[in-house]
Amino acid sequence: MSGGAVVTPLHMESTRVAFLEALTALMESDPKVVVVFADSVKVFRATEEFLHRFAGRVFDVGIAEQNAVATSAGLAACRLTVFTCTYAGFLTMRACEQIRTFVAYPGLDVKFIGANAGIFGGEREGVTHQFFEDLAIMRSIPGVTVVVPADASEVRQAVPVLARTHGPAYLRIGSGRDPVVFDPPASFELGKVRLLRDTGTEFVVLANGYLLMRALEAADRLQSEGICGRVAEVHTLRPLDVEGLVQILRESPLAVTVEDHQVNGALGSAVAEVIAEHGVGRLVRLGLQDVFPESGDAFALLDRYRMGISDIVQAVHKLCGNSAKSQS
Amino acid sequence: MTWTEQDIRDLTQHGRQLRRDVVTMIHLAGDGHPGPSLSIADLVTALYFRVMRVKPEDPAWEGRDRFILSKGHACPALYGALARRGYFSPDLLPTLRSLGSILQGHPDMNKTPGVDSTSGSLGNGISIGLGMTLAGRVNQQSYFTYVIAGDGEIQEGIVWEAAMAAAHYRAGTLIVFVDHNGYQSGGPVASISGLGAILPKWAAFGWHCQEIDGHDYRAILTAVALAQAETERPSCILAHTKKGKGIPFMEADNSWHKRIPTRAELDEALAVLV
Repeated sequence: MSGGAVVTPLHMESTRVAFLEALTALMESDPKVVVVFADSVKVFRATEEFLHRFAGRVFDVGIAEQNAVATSAGLAACRLTVFTCTYAGFLTMRACEQIRTFVAYPGLDVKFIGANAGIFGGEREGVTHQFFEDLAIMRSIPGVTVVVPADASEVRQAVPVLARTHGPAYLRIGSGRDPVVFDPPASFELGKVRLLRDTGTEFVVLANGYLLMRALEAADRLQSEGICGRVAEVHTLRPLDVEGLVQILRESPLAVTVEDHQVNGALGSAVAEVIAEHGVGRLVRLGLQDVFPESGDAFALLDRYRMGISDIVQAVHKLCGNSAKSQS
Repeated sequence: MTWTEQDIRDLTQHGRQLRRDVVTMIHLAGDGHPGPSLSIADLVTALYFRVMRVKPEDPAWEGRDRFILSKGHACPALYGALARRGYFSPDLLPTLRSLGSILQGHPDMNKTPGVDSTSGSLGNGISIGLGMTLAGRVNQQSYFTYVIAGDGEIQEGIVWEAAMAAAHYRAGTLIVFVDHNGYQSGGPVASISGLGAILPKWAAFGWHCQEIDGHDYRAILTAVALAQAETERPSCILAHTKKGKGIPFMEADNSWHKRIPTRAELDEALAVLV
C-alpha cells in the first residue's frame, strides 16, 4: 500500500538513460528486438558502444518521423519487436496516422518511446518542444498500451514489461533531468492503480509522472492541517484500472487529478469518465487548462501553470469545503 | 530470371482473368476502384504468377517475397490475384467491401490471407517495404520486397523520406514500381501538382532506375531481373500505364477512378476480355 516514495526533489536520475539501460539489457537477451531512431540517437543517450554492439539492429532514418514509424511497421510485420524512439510530439503528432493505421490497426509489436514529454520535460525549449497532447492522442487509438512512469526506476521496470506484452505501446519519458520519486524503487505492475499514501479517506489525489511527487508533498501538507486522504499513482492510462479506481473513489469520493498534460484527454478525462459512468466521486482536474504554455525553468513552469503543491492543496480544500457546504 | 513465349502467353491469360475478376467483383460488390486496379493489373499478374516466391498454402512463410500495394485502393487487382493464386476461394471476391468479408475496402494484413501489409492511406508503402527489407537482414532471410505506388501518391512527403532512407541503407532487395497512369482521384496528376521529371528524382536519391511499359510482360520481367541483380541500390521501375487499361470505354476516362459498372457495362467489358 503506502511507502517507498520520498519527498526530496534534489535527487535526480535521467529517465532517458534509464530507458537506454533497460533497452540494452533487453537487446542483449533478445535478438528479435530492434530500434528505430529519427535523428534521436543523442536524445536517447545511445553511446557509440551501444551503436557498435547492436550494429544491424539499430536504424536511424533521420529527421523523418513518419518514415520512422512506417519503417517500424515493416520491421514488426516480420516478427521483430521494435522500439521507436524520438521526441514525444514529433512521434505522436507528426506520425500519428502511421501509428494508428500501420501499427495499431494491425496490432504490430512496436513500442513508441516519447521523450521531452510534458512542460516539465520540454521546459526551456518552449511550446514547439513541449508535448502535452501525446497521451490524449495515444489513448484515443484503439489497442495501444499507454504508460506514464514517474521516474527512472519506473522506466527501468516498465520497459521489459512492455516488451513482454505483445502489441503497440507508448511510454512517456522526460528531459533527462528527472527527479527520483521512488527511493527505493517500488514494484511496477502494468495496468494497476497504486496507492502511495493512505492516511484517511477525505480526498484522493490521482497523479502520474513527476507530479506524483508534488501530490505526495501536498498530501503531507494537508495531513499536517488535519485533512487526511490518499495519493494514488495512475501510471497506466490504458488498460485503465477501472476497478481499482472505482474502489478508491467509493472510499474517497473527492478526487483531484494532476498531470503534466492538457486536462482534456488523458488522466483527468479518464478519471472523469470513470466517475460519470460509475456514479462515484467528484473531481477537480489540474494540468494545462486548454492553453499553450511558454519557455521556462521546469519547476517554475509547473507552478506557473497551476500544477504546484499549493494548487493541489487548494483543490482539495475547495472540494472538501464544497462537500461540507453541500452536506449542511 | 528467364521466361519462354509460353510464359508470356500464360501471363496474358492470367492478366485477362484478373481484369475480368476486377470488373466483376466491383460490379457485384457495388463499390470499388476499377480504373486504378486495371492500371496495375499487369504488374500484379507478373509478380504473383511469375516473379514472387510465395507459398499460398502457407501465407505466413517467413522466407516469402513480400508485396505491398501502397496504392491500396487498387486492391481488387490484388484480391483477384491472391484468389486465383490459391490463397482463398475466388467465390469470395464478390464479398468485397461488405460486412464480415475478408476483403476490406483497403488491404488488411490480418483479415486477408496473402496480404503482407495493411495499406490504403497513401504514401506509406515504401517505408513499410524498407522496414521489411531491413527485417530480412536482421532475420537473415534473402527475400525481395516489392511495392507498387501510384504516381499521384508520390506527392506525399513520406515517399521521399523513404527514398532517402532506403538509399542510405542500401536496400538492394527493395523494388518499387511507380504506376504512372497520369491520373489521380481529382484529375490529371500534371494539372493538380505536377511531379516534373519523376525518374531523375529517384536517381538523385541514389536509386537504380528503369522506365518501362507497365503493360508489357517482357518489359516487366526484364526490369525485375535487372532490379534483382542490383544488390547495392533500391530499385525504382517507372511503369507507364493506362488507367482502366484493357477496357476501351474505361481507358483514359478518369470517372472510372471510382465508379461502378452497370450490368450492361460489365457485359461490354467482359466481351472484350475474352
